[in-house]
Amino acid sequence: MSLPKPVKKSLFYIFLTCLAVIIIVPVFFLITTSFMSNNEAYTYPLPIIPAFNYKFEVKKHPSKYGDSYFISTYNRTKDKFESVLDTNSIPQIKTYFRQQLSVEVTDQEIKEQLKGMVNGDVRYFSFRKSLLYNYVTFFNVVRDAIPAFFRSIYVAIMTIIISLTLGSMCGYAFARYIYKGKDITKITILFVRMFPAVALAVPMVLILTAMGLFDNPFGLSLVYSVGAIALTAWITSSIFINLPLELEEACQVFGASKWRVFWKITLPLALPGLAASTMYIFLGAWGEVLIAMLLTQNNPTFPVVVFNTLLGASGEVNLVAAGGIVMLIPAIVFMLIVKKYLKTMWGNV
Amino acid sequence: MGKIVNKKTMPYLLLLPTFLYFAAFWLIPVIQCIRMSFQTPEGAYTLANYSFVFNDPVYPLALWNTVIFVAVSVSIEFVLALFLAILVNKKFRGVGVLLFLAMLPMTIPAIASAAMWQTGFTDYGWFNSLLYHLGIITSEFPVSWLSGGRWSMLILIIILDAWGSIPSIMIIILAGLQGLPDEAKEAGYTFGAKKQTVIWKIVVPMIKPTIVTAVILRIISAIQIWMLILILFNYGRLPVLLSRIVYWSEKMVTIKNYQQIAATYTVVLAVIITIVAIGYLYASGAIGSKKGKQL
Repeated sequence: MSLPKPVKKSLFYIFLTCLAVIIIVPVFFLITTSFMSNNEAYTYPLPIIPAFNYKFEVKKHPSKYGDSYFISTYNRTKDKFESVLDTNSIPQIKTYFRQQLSVEVTDQEIKEQLKGMVNGDVRYFSFRKSLLYNYVTFFNVVRDAIPAFFRSIYVAIMTIIISLTLGSMCGYAFARYIYKGKDITKITILFVRMFPAVALAVPMVLILTAMGLFDNPFGLSLVYSVGAIALTAWITSSIFINLPLELEEACQVFGASKWRVFWKITLPLALPGLAASTMYIFLGAWGEVLIAMLLTQNNPTFPVVVFNTLLGASGEVNLVAAGGIVMLIPAIVFMLIVKKYLKTMWGNV
Repeated sequence: MGKIVNKKTMPYLLLLPTFLYFAAFWLIPVIQCIRMSFQTPEGAYTLANYSFVFNDPVYPLALWNTVIFVAVSVSIEFVLALFLAILVNKKFRGVGVLLFLAMLPMTIPAIASAAMWQTGFTDYGWFNSLLYHLGIITSEFPVSWLSGGRWSMLILIIILDAWGSIPSIMIIILAGLQGLPDEAKEAGYTFGAKKQTVIWKIVVPMIKPTIVTAVILRIISAIQIWMLILILFNYGRLPVLLSRIVYWSEKMVTIKNYQQIAATYTVVLAVIITIVAIGYLYASGAIGSKKGKQL
């Protein structure tokens, strides 16, 4: 504590930078992997930055099937050309370029580069890589992706509405009243959260079917709300209990009704807590897979679609990464919206 | 409104909708689940499911792996999260960027983060590649992160899980810190208290309800870890309690009483979680005491 202020400040920022690096690095690699071609994703060591174009080295040489092109691509990490293909068929080259290297070129463009080569010739050329190849592939493979995406947004919003309304009422009751059976109600709500949600899914199939809500996004949000209400109740109660009671009392002295005080004073003060709850609810509902898998059939949510596709693609690393990023984007957008409310309080500290 | 509803009935009115909701969408399925754990597939009552689970050689392993994971990860994560929350709870240049970054791990959906670690920690994954680029290892001898024994698997899971969990604990604590009136801290400084004293004697006790909430929620979610372990080590190598439920309800569907066994594992897990949670809440004074402000 006796360090001079500039030294302390530098140490503080060095520490924060280390933190930032630890957080960013895995996400960074998830992003770069999503831009890699199959060829890149399965090399070791992986490149840090995905390639934007491919450099090729072609040797024309005679083989027992006739004249053939021996094609190598440049590996930046190892700083040398690595052989990838030996063929005389232009369509085969094209297919290989597209599937393995994410290079989308026409027969004509390949022919152009190979024109006039004689046996023993070596030629160098480069093609641009299509960076979004994995994303395009992803949305081509996943037929139901776009309706499922909006379905998931709907599920998340409904879950937020149900659980924020009911949960914050409970949280207020916990924080501001002494009543008979308080401990029991608190524990009950916690217990609801504790019970593994997976287990509810199997009996829930029958209940939702009886209600006509099986395979329905609203039915799913009803199930998600169970855990989300409990979470909201606990988070908001811990926020309400810290809010100055005197302010509420003062307003009541001046004749404001209890409901008015709640909406005009308590709620705005509790906004950061509510924002945090909303964020947890959204993230929980947005990313949940197992219950959604059991409770939907023809109307899956987005994560289920992603999960199935990834399973179907037998875990191609780069495609998995692209799916992960697609799932991540709405979550980040939502977080940025909520962050504004967290930051209003932040500025006042 | 305030005149019609009196003070005594108000809390019950606030709680009523939620409890009706829980009765319909939680209690009924839970009762069905518990009943299932005591039944044969034909519907006759039996204790055979429980004797099967307790005699399952994987059960003690799954139990201890879960216990160790929860105890170690929650305590480490809590200390680090509290430290970070107090550290960043002030005005400094770049606080917005840091808050954004801190929230990044929690926004990553479970599938995406499991995929991220899986692609990262295989022998030819990005983590070894990163070490290679930093000059720490050579390209001929990648480190086999996933092939270690039970303890190294547990340590890896604890570290990777902390990456995603610490920020979420930190955010809850931070929300509590921000609700704190400045006067309390100022009073402490006025009377000549040191910074540490103010933090440990004033700030931490004042945000204790928030801390209790953050920790209890984390304990509950830590007990229910499964996705990451499943993706990295499959069902067999590092069994935990919840992965046993998933295993029985997803993988054992050919066995006649798979649902009953899954339900039994669920009840066992729920009982364990209940005991731990209530024990923690009593120890922390969140329940069992008559504290609370009254309006």
